[in-house]
Amino acid sequence: MEERQIIEYDALVIGAGIAGGEAAINLANTGYKVLLVEKDHSLGGKMILLSKVFPTLDCAACITTPKVSEIARHNNITVFTESEVTHIAKKGDNDFVAQIMKKPRYVRVEDCTACQLCEKACPVSVRDEYQFGLIGRKAAFIPFSIANPKAAVIDIENCTLCGACEKACPTHCIDFTMETEYYELHAKTVILATGFNLFDPLEIPRFGYGQYKNVITSMQMEREIAPTRPYNTILRPGDGKVPDRIAYVLCTGSRDNTIGNPICSQICCMYSMKQAQLLMGALPMADITIYYINIRSFGKGFEEFYQQAKGMGVNFVKGKIGKITEKENGNLILRYEDIAEGVVKEAEHDMVVLSVGVKSNPSAGKIFDGNSLKLDPLQFVAQQDFLGSPAKTSIDGVFVAGTASGPMDIPDSILSAGSASSEAISYLTRYQSL
Amino acid sequence: MKERLGVYICHCGGNISDYVDVEKVRAAIEHEEGVVFAKTTMFACSDTNQTDMVQDIHEHNLDGVIVASCSPKLHLTTFRNVTERGDLNKYTYVHANIREQASWAHSDDKLGATEKAIHLVKAAIAKSRYADPLFPNQFEAEKTIAVIGGGIAGMKAALSLAEKKSNVILIEKGNRLGGHTAEWGSLFMTDEKGFELTTRIENDLRKYNNVTILTGEEVIDTKGSIGNFELKIRRQPQKEDDPMEIMELHVGSIVVATGYDHYLPKQGEYGFGTNETVITLPEFKQLVDKSTSKSLEFKGKKINNIAYVYCVGSRQSEGENTYCSRFCCTSVIHTAIEAKKKFKGIQNIHLTRGIRTYGKQELLYAESLQMGDVYLEFDEHTLPEIHTEDKKTVVTVKDILSAGKEMEMEVDLVVLVTGMVPRADQSIGSMLKLPKGRDRFFNEIHMKLRPVETVIDGVTIAGTCQGPKNISESVNSALSAATKSFSYISKGTLETEPIIAKIDQDACSWCDKCSNACPFDAIEQIEMGGRTVASVNPIVCKGCGMCTPVCPVDAINLIGYTSEEIMSMIDALA
Repeated sequence: MEERQIIEYDALVIGAGIAGGEAAINLANTGYKVLLVEKDHSLGGKMILLSKVFPTLDCAACITTPKVSEIARHNNITVFTESEVTHIAKKGDNDFVAQIMKKPRYVRVEDCTACQLCEKACPVSVRDEYQFGLIGRKAAFIPFSIANPKAAVIDIENCTLCGACEKACPTHCIDFTMETEYYELHAKTVILATGFNLFDPLEIPRFGYGQYKNVITSMQMEREIAPTRPYNTILRPGDGKVPDRIAYVLCTGSRDNTIGNPICSQICCMYSMKQAQLLMGALPMADITIYYINIRSFGKGFEEFYQQAKGMGVNFVKGKIGKITEKENGNLILRYEDIAEGVVKEAEHDMVVLSVGVKSNPSAGKIFDGNSLKLDPLQFVAQQDFLGSPAKTSIDGVFVAGTASGPMDIPDSILSAGSASSEAISYLTRYQSL
Repeated sequence: MKERLGVYICHCGGNISDYVDVEKVRAAIEHEEGVVFAKTTMFACSDTNQTDMVQDIHEHNLDGVIVASCSPKLHLTTFRNVTERGDLNKYTYVHANIREQASWAHSDDKLGATEKAIHLVKAAIAKSRYADPLFPNQFEAEKTIAVIGGGIAGMKAALSLAEKKSNVILIEKGNRLGGHTAEWGSLFMTDEKGFELTTRIENDLRKYNNVTILTGEEVIDTKGSIGNFELKIRRQPQKEDDPMEIMELHVGSIVVATGYDHYLPKQGEYGFGTNETVITLPEFKQLVDKSTSKSLEFKGKKINNIAYVYCVGSRQSEGENTYCSRFCCTSVIHTAIEAKKKFKGIQNIHLTRGIRTYGKQELLYAESLQMGDVYLEFDEHTLPEIHTEDKKTVVTVKDILSAGKEMEMEVDLVVLVTGMVPRADQSIGSMLKLPKGRDRFFNEIHMKLRPVETVIDGVTIAGTCQGPKNISESVNSALSAATKSFSYISKGTLETEPIIAKIDQDACSWCDKCSNACPFDAIEQIEMGGRTVASVNPIVCKGCGMCTPVCPVDAINLIGYTSEEIMSMIDALA
């Protein structure tokens, strides 16, 4: 049995994306001590990797980094990155015991200056997951330029233990003797902000993702147009050509029973229209076509954003894509049903963006005893009182924030996180002695 | 006079550097008087740069810091805090906005944008040289919170505050709690009745003795600011000769949850008001909820075929409601399913502008399709028409889903799927000076990350007064607003900005020009040494500067923006 360090906090927040971060700040600002546990190397979740946000077109990095910085610096918040909550037992009211596994980073964060000399020295190149495979990275690497903490990580799975990084490091912060640390946490309440998974378009072979190089996902396009973009311009990955006829395939992996996801992902219409507008700014000569079933611009300022996209000349085609095939020159033929004319048509594009949807991250279900945490049929965390108290789960004292309970956009995640932290504060108050 | 200034010029990841030559800006200002160094940075707000700044302050023994980046609305506080971590007085920090005021405003003129950025940074440097350390005002805050509006959002906000042991006053203008939700019949996703939901929340609420529920009472005046608001409440006379009762309340924060109005179609809009088989969504919901017979009847006639016309009062291409009302697709589909299950012989025909059952609500749409509901679609250019032929109601529509085919159908009832509009009664918003968006709903500070806070400190907005929402979303918004209001004042003491107006009372001879100019009622007249002079309430003053230029004897200075600082900035800009 590993040695476990025993730690105590008022609240455990699992997941440091925008929802978990907001929930942690609300609790911390009310005076509660929070442990924020994140499995990845950085705070900020998926939002910090986005280009701009709809419908304000604020740069995502500009509004996420200060939030993330506030979380990292807050006196009442302790952050564990590279960490997973492996088990939670409810011992009684206001009494949860969580087992946490903190994996080694092999870099002492406090000493690392993010000088990137280890990156230069490292001879191993692998796929960069933060650029969604558009480019490579080293096995010794800084996750991304606005990561928090901004410090190197050794990807031990791919590391050859050559020691080049260690020699190159001017502050001697690389430490291969680091080991996994185990903690036993006593907390009074738990917030689940475990987020969502992106739909993997390999599940729809007829779209040719993974087979045709110029078919990419919307998250890859998000990276191509982000300020910290990999190519510093927009290219199609097949041959580096600047695309000028880009197609968006909405509802990739959403509203589709054939891949087991009958629901709407709530965000894809809007982010696709956002990307279309940004692309029109970056590539003024490009034609952008969005193939859709219904445009769901339902939030504040969204319908106006849709009208703006139409006004800018984005081409909206109501029709489902049947099949995508590749031409010799890397261009793609989209076969679709044109609803307006009631006929099946084909169109040629030089790049296709699959607007992938939101799938559940069922991991939270596994960490509680038995089946005490109920999930819904789609494996999202079930909301026990959906209308009256949307943040309540099947366990009293455990609350859900953000996309862990279903698809939602950033403002809805913030509201959901506000709701979860409010319930958590009420729960903490209920058992607080006066 | 500051002699050791550090200047940071931000690329903003291309937002600035795509149009402003930041390197040129840096070179142009690095030899300005007092500047020790000038640097460019990819993201000034990033954690790494913040750490570097603190280090620079210590290493170079700086006495002032300037960041040229985005709007101070975004990051003034961020960099003030950095300055403070570097052991400098945070109010000596000076911000230059070269994004909204240079790169974004002049994206068609890179040279001009760069030139303007240079001037803005020079002016900031000039101001920084004169910036004095300032100290915030501390004061006691009232810990009671007022919630205005007793619908689902207001009730939940009040309940969540009561649970946190906060004193709450819930003020409802009408004679009962529950708002629209209580009248809404069966609800989506759970099939709970609206009044059952509101009743169980009201019962919970009434268990707490730290909650005061006022119904039939209306806020008629507000004064003060965060920590110390004064609300004047008028009791609605119950009978004609009841005396008017006025009550004053003292609260620290206000949650505004005043809700929405149902869109009321214009006379003749899709036959509304002229054809008696045309009703609105709320009327239809009531009808389905209240009918107990085996078949649905309306005005003594059995109803079989129902046409639902979507987006009435929403997504208008001609008209002021350009927005989508968000809840109505799901609401009407849910009710149509209910009607079909409850009554014999119902055929539902939906005339939509594209179904928006987002998220899990899609399952309701799938269910309705499986039950055989018919969906037709039209666009904003070819709206459906309602006629009466031989006392029968006929609907015609050009259906997009069948390649523009003209459809005509005889129906027994037409339901206009009406959306949400902002409250006609905007008095609360006007009293509190809450800004409104283009859609005329109240505006939040930041649409993405701060959806319940407003520019008026201490006032939060919950539920549909901020924009259309369904019940679940309203509750999330209400709890978020309650938490923010709670965290503002739960400590009992508050700090306000030291940047406020200061009156030279020796020079003042009270002419009331300043108090008339003040939008916050922060200036009062006092007696001092036998003279009447103006005095500024430091808690209420927001430092807006409206009073400064109107003083005929130049007796008012805005702390942090003294004439000296402003003149030096003007010199640098010239």
